[in-house]
Amino acid sequence: MELQEYRFRFDELEVSIDIIEKFMGYEPGQAPEPMPQLINEVLGIAHELCDIRGGYIIKQETNINREFKTMHINGTEFDVKKIITNQLRKMDNVALFVCTAGPGISNYSKDLMHEGDFIKGYIADVVGSEIVESAMDKIQADLERQMESRGWHITDRYSPGYCGWSVGEQHKLFSFFPKDFCGITLTPSSLMQPIKSVSGVIGIGPEVRRKGYVCNMCDMVNCIYREKKDTKKADRC
Amino acid sequence: MEELFEKIAHCVEFGKINLASPYPPDMKGQVGADELTKQAIDAGAEPDDVLKKGLVVGMEKIGIKFRDNKVFVPQVLMSAKAMSTAMEHLKPFFESGAVKRKGVFVIGTVAGDLHDIGKNLVSMMVKGSGFEVVDLGTDVNSQKFIEAVKQHPGCFVGLSALLTTTMVNMEKIVTDIKTAIPGTKVLIGGAPVSEDFKEKIHADFYSRDPQGAVDFLKRSVA
Ligand code: B12
Ligand code: SF4
Repeated sequence: MELQEYRFRFDELEVSIDIIEKFMGYEPGQAPEPMPQLINEVLGIAHELCDIRGGYIIKQETNINREFKTMHINGTEFDVKKIITNQLRKMDNVALFVCTAGPGISNYSKDLMHEGDFIKGYIADVVGSEIVESAMDKIQADLERQMESRGWHITDRYSPGYCGWSVGEQHKLFSFFPKDFCGITLTPSSLMQPIKSVSGVIGIGPEVRRKGYVCNMCDMVNCIYREKKDTKKADRC
Repeated sequence: MEELFEKIAHCVEFGKINLASPYPPDMKGQVGADELTKQAIDAGAEPDDVLKKGLVVGMEKIGIKFRDNKVFVPQVLMSAKAMSTAMEHLKPFFESGAVKRKGVFVIGTVAGDLHDIGKNLVSMMVKGSGFEVVDLGTDVNSQKFIEAVKQHPGCFVGLSALLTTTMVNMEKIVTDIKTAIPGTKVLIGGAPVSEDFKEKIHADFYSRDPQGAVDFLKRSVA
């Protein structure tokens, strides 16, 4: 099926001071000065720094092999392991997605850090992460709307690097997209550039559901967000 | 003078940079690490004492709190800023040799990886413990690490990686460094790295947080 591409302006996203404070470890509204002021400064210029793009491609030829814990899309095998095969087993179609905040916000963060402005540099880094997540939320919501209109549903998002699915399989995932789709490239070490990018798959079909992530599915024992995370919207990672 | 050192340590621990800084809110309007350090030097304190009994003590306290999840990244960064601002007053003494660093720590994010916030935090904490830090940046290959080690004989090396696919590059880098300059101590860290992985690639130390690295370095030069 066709490729869907999106572009967002920063002000179309829901990146609020509360969300940034939460990511930084504070209760929303509780971060002491100078944090709120600095967050506002970064949010105030974020629109100049971003090139927010994303999209997905839907594939109908999919198959989940529960014995070997693999996912097959148009003949390409993904070794997604147990958790993901379980979550996707009822899908009929799959959407492969990528999304990016663009390089500007990371470059800005790096420059600030380099100049010794650690806090603002860190805030810019957090804002960049939140932008890409928030943009992907919008894309996912749009996909959901489209599917619901025909009585189908979608799953949560699953990404290479999570739940046992190797980051190394990024190359296979990217092979489904045109070269440089949304300005995202992959290094030989499977790192996406710009840094503030995400990728993955979403299952689609009449029988699938969004269940919300549960951190106990994840093997990331050292995760600093593990305990704080609410299971309703656990897509920080 | 001891009281002044304690105050300096307190300012660093709580991230009180200078008079103008509104942070932390309960120290608003008070002088910070910047003014107090200058005051101590002007009053004739040994620069080495200002560093070791004041600044380093404060940094160690925040490092422990961060390790124990009692504070978050922003508080550590405020402390690092207070520390680096105060260090400006000690610069001439480092240059003249009146104050000596504990050693040199070369750090970089390994080849293929561009993440740097974690590496920067480790850099700041190690610097704050009295070491000279040479930050090689991101996407650093064996050759660049080896050159840096040759320039700083006896230095320690820190490798950071954030993805499992780039973590594997640590193995080659550790081997290359140890082959080129035997005896070099290499520390590794980053979200996917573990103690088991450290054993497997024959690195010398793994820690999930910067304070672990600081403790290891201090033990190693003691
Ligand atoms: C925020 C985040 C993102 C953001 C921003 C990424 C960025 N860094 O800019 C976004 C949403 C864009 C993102 C994307 C992805 N992410 Co991500 N992300 C995270 C998250 C939640 C936090 C990272 C962070 O900023 N940490 C804060 C810093 C301060 O911590 P740190 O770097 O780990 O450093 C600390 C320690 O590790 C240690 N340390 C670090 N270096 C060293 C060195 C030495 C010597 C020592 C002693 C200690 C030490 O000290 C530091 C301070 O405490 C982590 C999970 C986690 N909790 O760590 C996942 C994580 C890094 N992501 C992961 C993955 C898989 C991805 C994606 C591949 C997913 C995908 N397919 O889309 C992409 C890759 C992006 C790319 N460009 O290729 C995995 C990587 C592991 C793996 N499986 O390979 C992690 C670990 C999550 C997980 N559950 O597995 N991610
Ligand atoms: S928050 Fe941490 S533990 Fe939970 S799913 Fe994400 S990476 Fe895993």
